[in-house]
Order: sequence, then C-alpha cells, then structure tokens
Amino acid sequence: MSSYVRRLPVYLLLDCSGSMSGEPIESVRQGIKMLVNELKGDPQALETACLSVITFASVAQQTSPLTELMLFKEPKLEASGATALGGALRVLRECIEKEVRKTTENQKGDWRPLVFILTDGLHTDDEEFDMQTKDLKSLKVANIIAVGAGPYVEQATLKRITDNVLLMNTASAGDLAKFFAWVSGSIKMSSKSLDAKPGGNIELPPPPQGFTIVP
Amino acid sequence: MAHKKKNNNIAKAILMDDTELEYVITDNPPRGGMKYTYFTPDKKYAVQFFNKAEDAESAQMQARLENIVGLYNPTISQDEGGAMGNTSETAAYFSRLFCWPVALIKEPEFGVVCPTYPQNFFFGKDAVKPGVNLDMDGKDKKSKWFTSRSSRWLAEKEKGNFQTMLRLSISLARAIRRMHAAGLSHSDLSSNNVLIDPKTGSCVVIDIDSLVVPGVFPPEVAGTKGYIAPEVLETMEFDFDDPKRKLPCAATDLFALPVLLYEYLLHRHPLDGPKVYSTVSTEEDEYLQYGPKATFIENPQDTSNRPDDLEVTIHDLGPYLEKLFLQAFVDGLHDPDKRPTASQWERALGKTWDLLQPCKNPHCRAQWFVLYDLHNPVCPYCGQGLDSRDVMHLRLKKPMRGRKGQWQQVGEINLYDRMPLFNWHFIANVYPDEKMQNRSMQAYISHQGSEWYLVNNALAGMLSPKGNLVPVGQAVWLKDGEIFPSSNNPEALLLEVVRG
Repeated sequence: MSSYVRRLPVYLLLDCSGSMSGEPIESVRQGIKMLVNELKGDPQALETACLSVITFASVAQQTSPLTELMLFKEPKLEASGATALGGALRVLRECIEKEVRKTTENQKGDWRPLVFILTDGLHTDDEEFDMQTKDLKSLKVANIIAVGAGPYVEQATLKRITDNVLLMNTASAGDLAKFFAWVSGSIKMSSKSLDAKPGGNIELPPPPQGFTIVP
Repeated sequence: MAHKKKNNNIAKAILMDDTELEYVITDNPPRGGMKYTYFTPDKKYAVQFFNKAEDAESAQMQARLENIVGLYNPTISQDEGGAMGNTSETAAYFSRLFCWPVALIKEPEFGVVCPTYPQNFFFGKDAVKPGVNLDMDGKDKKSKWFTSRSSRWLAEKEKGNFQTMLRLSISLARAIRRMHAAGLSHSDLSSNNVLIDPKTGSCVVIDIDSLVVPGVFPPEVAGTKGYIAPEVLETMEFDFDDPKRKLPCAATDLFALPVLLYEYLLHRHPLDGPKVYSTVSTEEDEYLQYGPKATFIENPQDTSNRPDDLEVTIHDLGPYLEKLFLQAFVDGLHDPDKRPTASQWERALGKTWDLLQPCKNPHCRAQWFVLYDLHNPVCPYCGQGLDSRDVMHLRLKKPMRGRKGQWQQVGEINLYDRMPLFNWHFIANVYPDEKMQNRSMQAYISHQGSEWYLVNNALAGMLSPKGNLVPVGQAVWLKDGEIFPSSNNPEALLLEVVRG
C-alpha cells in the first residue's frame, strides 16, 4: 500500500571539538541512542521523522545521512580539534538541498526540516560563519534551534543563526540528557501539531529546568 | 525522619477534600502539550500538573475541571456525586471506556488525579515481530500503531482482526455518544487520546481534561494533526474570542470520531491521498489538504484525491457504514451540521456487527468481513468466496404497537456456526448498550452440513416454528422462509429465516 505521509527531516548539528572530549561526548552518544529509542516508541514520530547527524570539529561533515528511524545507525563520535560551526551550517544547507523533498505537481513534499545545534564554545571559522549566517534567517530553509552549553558560549553569535536560542549551564551528563529528552519531545510535538499558518513559528515544549530561553 | 532510600523522591499532594496522596517525583517526567505527569508509588494513579502556571491558576480551568470530576462524571453514580441519572451499573460500564479524572489537587499546586490506563493498553515484551529492533515494552497502545504503516513492525497477535476492530469502534462511538448526551465534547479526540487494544477489541478515551463543559469558557486546545475539523483549522488565525473563529465542540468531535473509525476499519486516513493542493510550500499544501480544500479519498464525485490502489472501500463495510461515511466526509466535511451523530454511528456499527461473517480462509488477515450482498458472498480482504449453503440470514421483526399482526423489521443478522445470540436478538427494544446488564448467551447457532439450527442456551419460553416450547439444551431447525416468534415473551421478536 502506498503512503502519502510526509517526512519530518531532523538534523542534529553536534559540536565535537576538543572541549567536548570525555564526559560530554559520551553523554552525546548516550543521548542520541536515547533519542532514537524514544522516537521509535511514538508511532507518529516513527512514521514521519527522519534523522541525520552533522558533526563539526576542525571540519564539518555529515556523519549520518538523513535516514528513517528504523534504519538509523548511530554515528561514531570522537571529540578533537576546533569548532567549524560555519562549516556545519554550509553542510546543513547542502544536505537539505540534496535530501529534503520539495512539493511538486505529483509529489508531496517533506516538512520544513527541524534543526538542533548543540555547541559548547565559540566558532573558529569566522569567514565561513559570516557567509553562512548572512541570509540563513531570511531564507527560512529550516526551523533551527541553537542550544549553547557552558560558559564559553556567546549568545549573540547563536542569535545570528536563529531566533530560537537556549542556554544550559554546563555540558554535563545531566544537562545533556535533559537536552536530548527535550529534543525528543520537540520532535514528537512537531510530528503531531499542525502549523496552521503557513510560515508561522513552530511550537516547542517548554525547555527543561535549568535551561534559559534567550529572548 | 529516616526514609528508605527508594522513597527519597516521594512527595505528598493534598486533594480538594484534604486527603493526602503520595506520588513519586522523577527526572524528566513525561510531558504533554498541557501537563506533565508523575505516578503514585503503586502506579494506580497519574498525578498531573500544568506546564504553565497561568493554566494552573486560571479560574476557568479550575471551574471546568471541577465540573468534569463531579457534575458531569459518567464514571461514578449520581449517588456518589457523579452525573445525573447515572446508576452504579452504567458508571461501571463507562469507567471501562474512559480514563476519567477522579480528583483535583490543591497542594503543592493545582493539578489533576487520573487512574492509570488498564494494563492491556500497554505493549508487552514480545509486541514486535521477531528480529525487529524496537523496544515497545511498556509503551501505551496509541491507535496509530495499528492503523498506520508502523503496524508492519507489530507481532501478528497484537493486531486483532476486523471483528475486534469493529468491537472497539462500537465502544468508542458509545463513549462519545454518552459524552455528547451530557452536553460535553472532547475537543481533542485523536489517535493519541484514544488507546486501543485490538487483541481484546477494547478502547479507552484518555485526556479528558480539555473537555468543553456547558456554561464554562472553552479550553484553548490546538488539536492534533489529521483530527482537527476543517472549519477549526480554517479559522485558527482569528483571535480566540473573535466570533468568526470556530472552536472545538460536539460538531468537531463528529469529524474526529469518523476519522478514527475509518482508520480502525480501513487502516488509512480519509484525507491522506495523492492530491497535491499547492506547490508553494508543504505548509500550504497541508493546510489546504486538512482545511478549506479537504477532499475525502473515497469521494464518489470528486476522485482527485483517490489513491489508485484502494482494495477495500467503505462499500465493503456494508450499507449502514457506507452511508454514514459519505455523510461525514462528503456532505458533512465542510458542513458541520450534516455530520452523523455519535448515536447514529453507534447504531450503524451495531447493525454492521450483525452482518459479520467469518472468512473461511485461515490465512486471511481480516478473518471477518461484512456480508452485505447475500448473492455474492466474497471476503473483500482475501477474495475467498462462501458456498451459498454457508450463507444464512435472519430478519428480526417486532410487533407494531396497536396494529395486531403487523411487524416492523428491526434488524438483520448473518448466521455462522457457533454464533452466540443474546437478549437483544430476541426481545424488542433491548440494545447491547450500557443499560443491558444481562450479557449472557441466550442461544447459539449450530451449522451442520447444509442445515442450520438454533440451540436454546438460556432463553425462557423459546418457541419452535410450530409454536412448541423448546427447553434449554434443545434446538429448532431453521428452514428457509419460516417466520415465527422466538419466545412466548410478549415483547418477543419475530424471526424470519432467509437462505442466501
């Protein structure tokens, strides 16, 4: 039987720079595992959500291509090097262009992608970052949520990527677990609720305790 | 005070009547659109608090919930503070169909206590097919698991069959009929708020706290994709108090109810077809698909949204349901007043139940089908035909008041071997609803060779076609064309035997 269900593409942009090594990167691994399991327990998310992971350190790359949840393989994550956040945004745009289906006369398109960026520091590729953020907001290629962890995050920088910025105190195991639980809740909510006004802002669940929304 | 280690996270809630209720505080409690949930240590009750303080403190919200827990509660009897006219029997009946809030919390803050869902609405360890990498243990049985493509991962034994899906459809229609009869509407009826167990053919309506209660300001619920009535979606952009804005009400429930029934019986969504409504954006396409331009995939006049691989259609559900689905999704799709009522659905589903016939093909996934054409008895799911010797039909007629010797047809049933028959098959004005307490088998059908028999199991005063008493344990031979009163009860129905 054919299906006319749209996909909800979800991209995770994960900071794998040197500062994430040790407990943080391990927590991210656990977090992805939990996220996939959690989403697979929700029939709507299981049917609609597709997941991709893009990592950024000295270079940015797509470590898991956009895949339906049942076929998703967790990426191997290592933390070392710099923070090519600008590069990650470039990879994101390339992947969206390539992987997300557009609506045509004969084909139902995918939902606008949902993108979660997790970083614990400042980007190290200024030029690329400037170029990528120039028109990112106005193009509205995706609903992006940027989450900064720990003291080295600059709010203003993240605000250049998106208006949806959250801060968490640390990149500790506890906070990262909360982050992934919240990402899971957000994806489930997006797969159920309907954007009544085309182009309007997406609705997300309230952030976990200890997280602050940057106004 | 010394606590055992595992009790470290126990908190106390104080209910409105000042009784105390313990619950367990957990990290990252499950969170819905409105509330988050903790459980009592014995897991018998869910203790729910609001995400937003303004919701918890809203006088409207509190008034609405007080009404839901008390005055309008169909799950407790009137004597115990429940709904008017509710007996303890009907209360017991409906407490199986609803997960209704039982108490309100005043401390530490305003909240709601609900019973947890019965155990059969949770998946167990072996709920998925062997080799499928899915951990379903303990997950609740949202109906999308069974009606969407996700069902391909489930073990066969979880999926039930057409008969069990029809059984739970009747229960859902009955639950909504009861709610609407009290003037309540659910307002967020969806696959997430009705749990189903196809194995046993049961369902339970959950998330009762966003009900629309008469005389109290309605809740601001967003609704769930695919179940929001088109007129609600179309007017969502207006302010909440703008008169042009259409709010959830009984008429919008009467859109969501047939969507669910259609999904249960046909395993697809009535508006999800191939039609592309707009190429501007996915959001616009989606908005038109479920809103102003919504088109039923089985609309007989407008086939623009019809999938090319529809095998089983509403026609295969028999005349009663076909008529109502057309009324709901063609005439009533954009005209809320034309939608069938929950009580019409309950009746049509019940009449369809009587037309069920088991499929002879042991590998048929549906196992049962609606035999609506006696001259062409074929299972629409697998194509297996029935021998005409195996088709037998009874018309049930009741005496017309004040017109001696005249009868009115009140039902038709298809017979099959070992079919149980109940009071409502033999006595006029008796229905298999919440008021019917005697649900024991009165008689059953026995099919041997090409002959059919009606065997008395418990029916008092059962009569043969010749008018002789048939004691319990004895049978009457059902011959084509015979018409006879089923018993000496003055309200007895007349049976007319029709061979296929």
